[in-house]
Amino acid sequence: MSDTSTKDFEAAIAELESIVKKLEEGDIALEQSLALYERGVQLSRFCHARLEEAERRIEILNERGELKPAPSSFAADDSRRG
Amino acid sequence: MSDLFDQLFEEDDEPQPEPAAPAPVRRVLTVTDLTIKIRDLLETELFEVWVEGELSNCRVWNTGHLYFTLKDDRSQLRGFMFKTALRYLKFKPTDGTRVVARGKISVYEPKGEYQLVCEHLEPQGLGALQLAFEQLKKRLQQEGLFDPARKRALPALPRKIGIVTSLDGAAIRDIIKVLRRRYTNAHLIICPARVQGEDAASDIARALRQIARVPGVDVVIVGRGGGSMEDLWAFNEEMVARAIGRVPVPVISAVGHETDVTIADFVADVRAPTPSAAAELVVSRKDEFCGRIDRLRDRLHASARSRIQGLSRRVHIIGARPALAGFPGRIAMRGRHVAELSHALARVFRAGLGVNARRLQQLERQLAGLDVSRQLATMRTRLVAADGRLTSAATRRQDRAAGQLRAVAGRLDVLSPLAVLGRGYAVAWNADKTRVLRDATGVAPDDHIRVTLSRGEIEAKVTKTS
Repeated sequence: MSDTSTKDFEAAIAELESIVKKLEEGDIALEQSLALYERGVQLSRFCHARLEEAERRIEILNERGELKPAPSSFAADDSRRG
Repeated sequence: MSDLFDQLFEEDDEPQPEPAAPAPVRRVLTVTDLTIKIRDLLETELFEVWVEGELSNCRVWNTGHLYFTLKDDRSQLRGFMFKTALRYLKFKPTDGTRVVARGKISVYEPKGEYQLVCEHLEPQGLGALQLAFEQLKKRLQQEGLFDPARKRALPALPRKIGIVTSLDGAAIRDIIKVLRRRYTNAHLIICPARVQGEDAASDIARALRQIARVPGVDVVIVGRGGGSMEDLWAFNEEMVARAIGRVPVPVISAVGHETDVTIADFVADVRAPTPSAAAELVVSRKDEFCGRIDRLRDRLHASARSRIQGLSRRVHIIGARPALAGFPGRIAMRGRHVAELSHALARVFRAGLGVNARRLQQLERQLAGLDVSRQLATMRTRLVAADGRLTSAATRRQDRAAGQLRAVAGRLDVLSPLAVLGRGYAVAWNADKTRVLRDATGVAPDDHIRVTLSRGEIEAKVTKTS
């Protein structure tokens, strides 16, 4: 699942890059350039959202394969000190 | 020591001293003889010995040979190693290292000293490990486990970062510190494992297998903080190497310090010199993407902005024209058309300009190369000369024509009927001189006729025809 979303992200960046290039080259009709611009804004929002999407969480995987939240003392202090 | 003294006394005591007995034959040896005797004894008896102890006073002389002292808590043994043997050592002998030495005892006669001539030295304990390391490394390399083609790129967007290490170690603290500082939204899944001791290797392998099964984990950091070579040993074991090789997502190894290299490092997709560096690696990918997206977005906006500004300027200009003032609805259409046209023009112009400018420069260069005024003078001279030639040729032609004309005119003269008249002939005409009279029947008596003579004319009246 994460694999496809990573691919989506990379594809989005690639598309955004090609859109910017096209707009900068400039020889396209106004209507098309407006459509491209809109798509570009959409893509950059999508990419940023993806980057910020991951949760801020620490979990411990025990030997029985169960995921438990890490004890709050475990990491929280370090973030302030670091 | 005390035993020796006891022995001496016993020997003295038992065979009762007999002062009267003749003194035993004294066999006096030279120092050299004795030394040679000692040497022969030692070198035959202690031809090959293994001895363990701690190295001290290690010194490599200018000759390249190594001198050292091997000691334990009670005794010392001088040692010597030839440069040739020294070359084969895989480690550098340093003071304080516990070693096992193989060699023979030899006597240095000039000083009456014995010493160990060492043929091989190996660090105690470490030797076997080192050997195991080299053997495993070779084997896995041959299997292709270190193949660069196997190395996977780190994910652009790590959703969940798997970490295999000890919960008590420095590694996990360092990793969290870096991720907290730089990557606020990291989702960490820590699978605790014992990272040193007897069963560390199997525990690490178990943890790697487990973490690989957690959905969403797309990169795994495996490692521990610094320690002695023995402390880090689990990361040199085959079990760990194979477990790393089987993790389906990219693995970053982060074992000990910069200088510690383990088998795990060779198998991992990326080797980080330290656990902190591993965290930095994961984070820098995100920073990289953040920056890239930001730059793209800025360019997107800038290109749209400049496009819109240019268009609105044009539309404004067109709208201001009186002819279009009444048609606001069409202005936009026209504006777009004009924009497109002028854009196309600009493009063509830009494309053409470069070429044209180059051509112009080339022509200018060629022009500058010519001496125009001199060429003009030459041409003028040639023109004048040609003109002269043309004139004289025309004159000659005219003269020739005049001569020919005169000649023809002479011949004409000869043939002229007037010339015949000069010889006494006359021409007779009808009255109005329209017809030459050739037949007498053409006139009747009383008709008027004219007669042309060589000089003058006669009007006459016919009196009779015959």
